[in-house]
Amino acid sequence: MNCDQLREHYELYALGIAEEPERGEIRDHINRGCEVCGAGVKRALETAALLGASAPAAQPSPQLRHRILASVGSEQRRFGFAWVPVFAMAALLLVVAAYFAVSNRRYADDAARLRSQSARLRVQMRAQAAEIVRLTEAFAILSGPSTTEASFGGKQPQPPRGKVFVNPSRGVLLIASNLPRTPADKIYEMWIIPKGAKPVPAGLFQSQDDGSAMHVRPGMVDLASTAAVAVTVENEAGADQPTTTPLIVAALAP
Amino acid sequence: MILPLILAVYSGPEDRALVERLKRRDPQALAELYDRYGRLSYSLVLRVVRDKAIAEDLVQETFLRVWNRVHSIDSERGAIGPWLLAIARHRAIDYLRSSAGRDRNTAVELDETDHAPLYREMEAGILISDQVRRVKAAMEKLAPNHRTVVELAYFEGLSQSEMSAKMGQPLGTIKTWVRTALQSLRDELGVAVSSS
Ligand SMILES: [Zn+2]
Repeated sequence: MNCDQLREHYELYALGIAEEPERGEIRDHINRGCEVCGAGVKRALETAALLGASAPAAQPSPQLRHRILASVGSEQRRFGFAWVPVFAMAALLLVVAAYFAVSNRRYADDAARLRSQSARLRVQMRAQAAEIVRLTEAFAILSGPSTTEASFGGKQPQPPRGKVFVNPSRGVLLIASNLPRTPADKIYEMWIIPKGAKPVPAGLFQSQDDGSAMHVRPGMVDLASTAAVAVTVENEAGADQPTTTPLIVAALAP
Repeated sequence: MILPLILAVYSGPEDRALVERLKRRDPQALAELYDRYGRLSYSLVLRVVRDKAIAEDLVQETFLRVWNRVHSIDSERGAIGPWLLAIARHRAIDYLRSSAGRDRNTAVELDETDHAPLYREMEAGILISDQVRRVKAAMEKLAPNHRTVVELAYFEGLSQSEMSAKMGQPLGTIKTWVRTALQSLRDELGVAVSSS
């Protein structure tokens, strides 16, 4: 088919609902580098984006931002294959759950229950995968030959205390204990404080029920120009600059 | 229209810098991406699935997908906002299909990675520009049946055959409505969109 015959199908193609033979034809044209169809579909994708932006405005809960940031926060690509068993197991569990659910209950109820189970399972899988990545990052920082460490809270009778590990190429790891629980809408924020410059945000975290916390900020750190690593309590969206007095300051040796 | 142009120029380089930082795995960049497009994508996904908890799960998946696939977008020229919205829509429609027991593979093609190169040189400021208001106005101008088919296509991912079944109208009628509706949208938006 020629480009002129495909023109009317660009939008449907962009929305993923073009039918054969036009779908295959448009795809072929694009793969061949056809400029007419490429430009046409691109314009249709723009229209689609605009249609998407025209949905009635709604506001997600503030927790969503946290969930998203908590579930990444570090490099995932390198560890892609390590996740396969986690996902395979989760998929298997889902199939088993589906089997028992369907054989025991009425279909309509099951569908709803399965939906929420699968959504929850998805979130758990992400959380586990992110945790594996985080531990791997932490281990890399701990075991790096060029890692520098600094203690904090050693002389205080009261919490919190712990250590900061800084590796110039891998990032910063903070391990703390005796951290008080933050108020409901607050969160801990770590800062990397350069010498003579403003603190740089280094990620948000919460403490565990036992008062312990492990936080990783992966990525490069210029050790020579870094004075300290600190932690403050901030509103749960995080802050660009500290707004409270740090409850942890780990000074790095010059 | 000068305002949209200013907005586009203003937001373009910022989006590009953001993509660069995402590629360098800067978690703060993801936070900024969320602040820029989180609400927009949530609104879209909620419109499709109509369940707040599920919408949040799907938005989370969307951002993770972008984080994991940001390398397929061209940071010099790629528009990350429209790409992100396309992924959000795909996740939502995919969910709708699987929960409704609809066949995922009949008419629909939802692999957004195929399209990633086409987001090159798309106007990065497109989503914050005046054009969103334009598309809303254009939708409101459509005859009710025409608006319905566009909404079924966009927000439910129905093919024309599926619309025919759902609306109880012959396929030929549906195709005419779709063709007319898209033509009117094209006429309303054509100049604005293609001038970028
Ligand atoms: Zn062509």
